[in-house]
Amino acid sequence: MKISIRWLQRYVDLSDQRPEQIRDALTMSTAEVEAIHPFAVGLDELVVGHVLTCGRHPDADKLSLTTVDVGQGEPLQIVCGAPNVAQGQRVVVIQVGQELPDGTKIKKTKIRGAVSMGMICSERELGLSEDHDGILVLDKDYTPGITLGRVRPLADHVLEIDNKSINHRPDLWGHYGFARELAAILGRELQPLGAPVAFPNDGARLDLRIEDADACPRYLGVCLSGVKATRSPDWMRYLLHAVGQRSINLLVDLTNFVMLELGQPMHAFDRRRLAGDVVVRRARAGEGMVTLDEQKRELEPSDLLITSGGAPVALAGIMGGLGSMVEPDTNELFLESATFHAATIRRTSTRLGLRTDSSARFEKTLDPAGAELAVHRFVGLLGELCPGAAPAGPLLDPAAWRFTAPEVRLRRSRLDLKLGHVIDDTTVRGILERLEFGVRTTDEGFAVTVPSFRASKDIAIEDDLIEEVGRMFRYDNIPEAPLVGAVLPPHREPELILARDLCRMLALELHAHEVYNYSFVPDRLLEAVGVAALPHSVVANPVAPEVCRMRRHVLPSVLQALGTALRSAPAVCLFEHGKGYHPEVRDADGLPHEVREVALAAAGGPGFDYPALRSGVAGVLRRSGFAVAFDELLGRSDELPWIHPGKTVAITLGATLCGYVGELHPQVAHQLELPRGVALANLDLRQLLRAGASACRFADLPRFPAQPVDVALLVPQGTRVKQCAELLRHAGGKLVRGVELFEVYRGEGLPAGTKSLNFTVTLGADDRTLTGKDEEKFLAKVRERASEVGAELRG
Amino acid sequence: MDNRRQEWLDAIAAAGDEAELRRIDHGLLGKQGVVQELVRGVSSLPAAERPAAGKAANQLKLELQAALDARRAHLQAESLTRELAAPDFDPTEPGPALTQGTLHPITAVQNELVELFTSLGFTWQDGPEIESEHYNFEALNIPADHPARDVQDTFWLQDGTLLRTHTSPVQVRTMRRFRPPLRVIVPGRCFRQETVDASHEHTFFQMEGLVVDRAVSTANLIHTMKTCLRVILRREDLEVRLRPGFFPFVEPGFELDVRCLLCGGAGCKVCKQSGWIEILPCGMVHPNVLRAGGIDPEEYTGFAFGMGLQRVTMLRYGIPDIRYFMGGDLRFLRQFVEV
Ligand SMILES: [Zn+2]
Repeated sequence: MKISIRWLQRYVDLSDQRPEQIRDALTMSTAEVEAIHPFAVGLDELVVGHVLTCGRHPDADKLSLTTVDVGQGEPLQIVCGAPNVAQGQRVVVIQVGQELPDGTKIKKTKIRGAVSMGMICSERELGLSEDHDGILVLDKDYTPGITLGRVRPLADHVLEIDNKSINHRPDLWGHYGFARELAAILGRELQPLGAPVAFPNDGARLDLRIEDADACPRYLGVCLSGVKATRSPDWMRYLLHAVGQRSINLLVDLTNFVMLELGQPMHAFDRRRLAGDVVVRRARAGEGMVTLDEQKRELEPSDLLITSGGAPVALAGIMGGLGSMVEPDTNELFLESATFHAATIRRTSTRLGLRTDSSARFEKTLDPAGAELAVHRFVGLLGELCPGAAPAGPLLDPAAWRFTAPEVRLRRSRLDLKLGHVIDDTTVRGILERLEFGVRTTDEGFAVTVPSFRASKDIAIEDDLIEEVGRMFRYDNIPEAPLVGAVLPPHREPELILARDLCRMLALELHAHEVYNYSFVPDRLLEAVGVAALPHSVVANPVAPEVCRMRRHVLPSVLQALGTALRSAPAVCLFEHGKGYHPEVRDADGLPHEVREVALAAAGGPGFDYPALRSGVAGVLRRSGFAVAFDELLGRSDELPWIHPGKTVAITLGATLCGYVGELHPQVAHQLELPRGVALANLDLRQLLRAGASACRFADLPRFPAQPVDVALLVPQGTRVKQCAELLRHAGGKLVRGVELFEVYRGEGLPAGTKSLNFTVTLGADDRTLTGKDEEKFLAKVRERASEVGAELRG
Repeated sequence: MDNRRQEWLDAIAAAGDEAELRRIDHGLLGKQGVVQELVRGVSSLPAAERPAAGKAANQLKLELQAALDARRAHLQAESLTRELAAPDFDPTEPGPALTQGTLHPITAVQNELVELFTSLGFTWQDGPEIESEHYNFEALNIPADHPARDVQDTFWLQDGTLLRTHTSPVQVRTMRRFRPPLRVIVPGRCFRQETVDASHEHTFFQMEGLVVDRAVSTANLIHTMKTCLRVILRREDLEVRLRPGFFPFVEPGFELDVRCLLCGGAGCKVCKQSGWIEILPCGMVHPNVLRAGGIDPEEYTGFAFGMGLQRVTMLRYGIPDIRYFMGGDLRFLRQFVEV
């Protein structure tokens, strides 16, 4: 919201305050000021000119050639295009070298052969209003050369208030509320608004009825006669323009002015267009109306309407109807000032996508007392600005709303405790009273009565009052104090700690790069990896319709990122820690099951291939205490269609499946425009923890030297290393200290369809040094049993 | 014999390296060496000549031994000097290229925050990213039709659940799981329906903090927040200010600003000319939220905060655009080598 400092000055003296000081005072105690916009700054330096002569430009019909006395030196020759320029006028002149508020620099020019030494300005050129029909003609015969600042100061600064910071403060949706805050902060007097208007007891009236008192706690209405939709006075037009409100005519401007002053929206109906009784009621099924913006609106029974003669004339609190709006010839008004139920207005305005200055204010839960105040203010100003205009009848107020100020207790103990600082009684009382609270001292502290403009929503409990005291004292003045309490080790969540440690190790040991990806996955990606048909959590209001599904697994996003990464490096390993969402499984709260995963993908050849990733992942898991094994991955092809079915293994810990590592399916690689041989892996952290980590254990150091024996087994292709390793273990019995594969040889020198698995078997004994005999016995056993796995001992 | 003596001494002096010196040593003083022969020859001389000859032979032996030792020392010193001279060692010649992995900069910042807060006795928690309306709104004192729900710009799921708009739902979840005293942090992923630009993201990372105990005050909040920002932004002299801010789940609510790190307060584009950067919404936990968590607000008070991790990360590393954080652009990722 925009707040004009010049406007605030109508209610509180701020003449000694720079705009930055006002900004800081409000920001530190009331609401965030996001920016300060200068308005008409610089205009005060411009001078008043006296139009000495005004004749037709010899070569242009629509231009005038003037000489203007600007108080010093020779009168200036100025070419002017305005139709209303005339001899004798006092005008605002901008001279060569000066700048307009929009930054245009004025130069000496020649217009159709005539020299022009400046410009006579319109209001729009000066940035004062939208008016560009003619030049601004001053209404008094000021001395030429006098600066505008001396006779008609206009410079202003407009504060841009962060709306979020006043959502809870209905009283701050107008200038008067901010003036009250500043008066309290600076310890100054707040000027009262004009005196109440005396309404006649009899005369013109429309019967007024509220059918739904919950939706409309208060509705005031009055008929006004003798009104004219004239041009508003300059001061009002400039203030409205400064805060971004277009001036229309006096009647419309006045409703806007009072709304921007008090925060109370009002509606002025053309009395002539109201067919009969005014009724506030809910819409009926099938009812419709055309609003001021000429849109046809289909109504629902939850919408609140103002009707007259049975037909809707306004969408309550949001927008008036087209038929009853103020016209240039309107001479009689029915003025509405009401309070509507916030949620009702909000629901309708949200449903129709129709947010107005009015609905935005009603959504904040306005003070019903403000509705009455606004009527008096409107009628009072109207009387001043529109001679002859007056109430034609009584002020109707059928709801008979009465305000009883709530009393809220403020305990000294709680105030001290929540702020952590003791503020003395006089200060507390002073703060509350300046904000117009009533304060009474009690045994435990204070009893505080809440003024109506703070009682509709904002102040209800003791803690709300503590905020009032704290903010006006300024939180900055509270000295900091460290937390105190029992020193206990914090509860540890193993899953989070494991995730952090794994990520760190993947970066350090696998030289992998961590990426973050969105949890939303594009349909294109789901189709490319082949899971589009699986159940997904679907966002009802996505950023884009084709990106509405929540990922079941992290890995596809990593594959997508891999494509990007490969543009900057020939070989790379990426990983992401995140969650997958499985809507077909629900937890106790009915929420989709979330699985914490760490997913990896690598590409670029040796070191970034399946064997490297497999060893790397196993190593990193071992460091966290998970001595995992690799095994055949069974039956996951529906859920994980992106894995290469023949080149992927399960990561297991005992009987628990904790993840997989393998290669990307070539078809998916093709779809994603990734190279062949992309390695990938996924870890399910909860499964790992469920299977359990084991701590390192010391094994006694061997007292006798171990004896390594190389064993090459010629086996048919398709034979598993695991089978052969087991065979070797059996053959060596209790002498085996380790079995390690150091090479798989395929190719020259071997019969077709075979490969050679070359192991180093480490033998040893606890009580003696082994001899050649032990090795021979072992090899003989291997030779004897090799056929069990279809193998043959080579060499 | 004098001739030969000089010959031998010359050979020792001329030895070019230790291997040659060893050969000479062996030839002279070894078991079969010439000098050993001489010494042995003394015993075959007539008795009268023996003492003199023996003495001479011994002297010769000592003299040669000394010459050998001197030459050896000299050669060793020379070789050490040569070794230390390191010809053509180029200090500017780089080593072989090293590939280093990286943690995402938000992770690095988060890890540091987690470490700081766990050292202060905070437990590190997480909660569901797909949340219920109850925990995301109602339990946090944001009933239906509350205008604050507009500000949240919620992503709704078709099943009526939603993507959490902040990490705050974990406040009440934690209150229900543990009893006070509570010290909790919850870093995590959140979502808001926003159009992405240089400073807005629909996916963002927040770190919630919650403290509930007897007599927790605004003064404690200020101290904790200042400590946290000093550590994470690595500025001992960091200036902060606390001003009112409105969030339905705290009362009073605050915004904590830091003096702009770029302009030092003079005003710049980053701080929108104000000299301050809004960094930490926080406040004293609203009694209704404590009640929703089953805690008596008369017995306990608390504070809560929600730090934008992207914001802090951008400030710490000088990253100008929030969009860099998502996706696989290595040119961005590999800059952050700290773990
Ligand atoms: Zn700055």
